[in-house]
Amino acid sequence: MIELIPDWLGNWLGQDGLDTIKYLTNGKHMAWYSSVKFTLIAAVLGGVLAVFFGLMGAAMKQSKIAPLRWIGNIYTTMVRGIPDVLFLLFFPLALEQLAELVMAYMYCSPEQWSNATGWPVCREAQWLLSTNEYLLMACLSFGIVFGAFAANVIYGAMQAVPKGQLEAAEAFGFTEKQILWRFQIRQMWVYALPGLSNVWLLLLKATSLLSLLQITDIVSWADRLGAPNYLSMAGLVHPDWRWKYYLVLFIFYILLTMISERFFAFLQVRASRGMARSN
Amino acid sequence: MTAILDVQNIHKHFGQLEVLRGISLTANAGDVISVIGSSGSGKSTFLRCINLLEMPDQGSVSLHGKAITLKENKKGERIATNAKQVQELRTKVGMVFQQFNLWAHLTILENVMEAPVRVLGVSKAEANDIAMTYLEQVGIVDKADSYPSFLSGGQQQRVAIARSLAMQPDAILFDEPTSALDPELVGEVLGVMRKLADDGMTMVVVTHEMAFARDVSNRAVFLHEGLIEEQGNPTDLFGSPQSERLQQFLSNTVY
Repeated sequence: MIELIPDWLGNWLGQDGLDTIKYLTNGKHMAWYSSVKFTLIAAVLGGVLAVFFGLMGAAMKQSKIAPLRWIGNIYTTMVRGIPDVLFLLFFPLALEQLAELVMAYMYCSPEQWSNATGWPVCREAQWLLSTNEYLLMACLSFGIVFGAFAANVIYGAMQAVPKGQLEAAEAFGFTEKQILWRFQIRQMWVYALPGLSNVWLLLLKATSLLSLLQITDIVSWADRLGAPNYLSMAGLVHPDWRWKYYLVLFIFYILLTMISERFFAFLQVRASRGMARSN
Repeated sequence: MTAILDVQNIHKHFGQLEVLRGISLTANAGDVISVIGSSGSGKSTFLRCINLLEMPDQGSVSLHGKAITLKENKKGERIATNAKQVQELRTKVGMVFQQFNLWAHLTILENVMEAPVRVLGVSKAEANDIAMTYLEQVGIVDKADSYPSFLSGGQQQRVAIARSLAMQPDAILFDEPTSALDPELVGEVLGVMRKLADDGMTMVVVTHEMAFARDVSNRAVFLHEGLIEEQGNPTDLFGSPQSERLQQFLSNTVY
């Protein structure tokens, strides 16, 4: 990294400046920067899943079939009441142990079952999650939790679509499914986007919880890098600098928020095409 | 010759209110039937019962002599036995609404193409040709790529008529097609409808436009409190109304 800096810039920065750049581009810092990918993947995949669960939940909430309606309502009521931190802790664990239980029934012999003193019952029934699997679990958890909020937003937006247009579709022989997907859901975005952008920002901020799932994300790295650094050879390199690293994260999240707002403004314009007389 | 549409003994109530109390109507090919009556007489509800947007409590709806089979579900509500049959009815009998109800997220052209493509399964290229033909017929070709909200009410209603025509229906129901229009826009819509009637389209028109009912339709039906009070040839009906209520209605109506 340091070799890439041209001489004139190096001269201008001086030795201190170069040292700072050297420090900020050392292995650990580079690892910190690249851990941004966990945050972004969790946010984007979690967001996509949240919209998916939201659409499903909203469609179920207005279904004519009572059991589907119940599921939709239970989903939005219950999941919205659970703190996201708890769900993030609960869901991957519960799913992992459920999977291990199923594997135990499939792969462990009766002797292993009777001799088992702990968990898992046998070696074959152990599932040690990799970082990627944890990340996937986190995305699913975010999708489920924020999907419940999205479902409520989308359901409300679906009710705002003018009834007359849906009736017109009915009068032209469209099936209920077509009316739902081709008219009601196509048109609801313009009403749903402001609410969905709120849900998205909450989700974005919840990505700072990834370290709860043993993922070395930007927050864990900030913790590690900012902690008082003492080397026996050099003495105290720096005192507790965590606040500086957290400050960088603040700025990172604020930037993401600003980009998100731009993006949602763009989506709003697209969704509004034809929806209102523009001036 | 079997009638295109034959509805018999339609009853409908909303809560305590008996809106329709046994109405029958037969539309043969080329008939232009005007349904008139004061507000609350059940005209629109009756029209909506014809394509089962409202499910009648009693009575039957037949298309080309074949009755749509209806049954009662567990809750005692009447529902269609066969969704396909209802779909066929709705593809063969078009509808034009008071509030136009064009699909706001689609352009004019897409509005007219949507149902032929998605319901009838016509290819996009063919639907495009059909749509352009009818948009030309109603005089809106130049707006094909605009969205409905950029059009005046009269233009939107003409598009709505083209949207119905694109299904190449056997009959079209008009639910007060000019009532939501500014007075100066009424003429352009009535002009299109008049042309349709001349071309032999079978139409059932709920309307407050007495001049249209008198001059264009070949039969007029006067509804009062959910019953047909009087019907017949429009010249007779408007010229020498028999019932006191129709006399009263006509004397209160400016046309």
